[in-house]
Amino acid sequence: MSDNSIITRSIPALAITGAVGLVVAQYFIWVYAPVEATMGILQKIFYFHLPLAWWGLISFFVVFCSSLVFLISKNPFMDRLSQSAAEVGLLFSGLALATGTLWARAAWNIWWTWDPRLSTTLVMWFIYAGYLVLRQSIDNPHKMRAVCAVLGVVAFLNVPLVFLSARMWRSIHPAVFGSRGGGLEPEMMTTVLVCIAAWGILTAGILFYRVRQLDLKDRIRNLFIF
Amino acid sequence: MTYLIFGNIAVWTGIGGYLFYLATVQKKLDLRVRQLEVSADEQ
Repeated sequence: MSDNSIITRSIPALAITGAVGLVVAQYFIWVYAPVEATMGILQKIFYFHLPLAWWGLISFFVVFCSSLVFLISKNPFMDRLSQSAAEVGLLFSGLALATGTLWARAAWNIWWTWDPRLSTTLVMWFIYAGYLVLRQSIDNPHKMRAVCAVLGVVAFLNVPLVFLSARMWRSIHPAVFGSRGGGLEPEMMTTVLVCIAAWGILTAGILFYRVRQLDLKDRIRNLFIF
Repeated sequence: MTYLIFGNIAVWTGIGGYLFYLATVQKKLDLRVRQLEVSADEQ
C-alpha cells in the first residue's frame, strides 16, 4: 500500500470527521434527545450500545467478505483487512456487551441472563477472540493467513443468528428497528441515526489506520525474509 | 445514573485503550523504520 493510496489519504479526514461527529452526537444524546419516561436518563446508554453493536456486526461482515476474497485472490491486503476488522468488531461487541449488562442490571434487575440475543452475542465474541488468538499462534504467515481466512468465513455463520435472535425466538432483548414503528420518538430516532453515523465514520478511520499499520509491519518483516 | 456513568467510563476506556495500543505499535514501527534507515545509510 503506497502512502498515496486512497486508504492512507482518507485516514486524517475520517479521524477528524469521526471525532467531530462524536462531539455532535454528545449534543444529540445529552441535550436534543428527550429523557425516556420509564427508564429515565439511564436510557441514554442505548445511544452507545446500539451503534457499537451494529458496527461490531458490520466489522465481522467485513471479516467474512475479506476472508472470502483472500481465499480466492491470496491478496495479503485482504488478510490485513480481516485482522483489522476482527479487532474493531471484538472491541465494539465487547463494549456492547458491557453496556448491555449495565442496562440489564438497571432495567431487568439482573446482570446477565441466557437470553438468545445475549447468548449468541457472547458466543460470537469468544469465536472472534479465538480468531485473533489463532493469528498469533501460527508462525508460518502463509499457513496462518489461509487458516484464519477459513475461520473468518466459518465464524460468520453465528453473526446472522445474533441479528435475528431477538426476532426469531422469544427474547427479552428488544428488536428496536424490527418492531412496528420502531418504538422510538422522532427525536430519539434522529439521535440514534446521528450516533450510528458518527461511530461508523470512526470505525472506518480506525480500520484504515490499522490496515496501513499492518501493511508497514509486513513490509518490515518481509525485508528479513529471503 | 451510576450505571450510566459506568457505561460511559467503559466505552471511552475501551476506545481510548485501543487507540493507545495502536499509537504504541505505531511508535515501535516508526522506531524500527528509523533504525533500518540508519543501518542502510551506514552500509
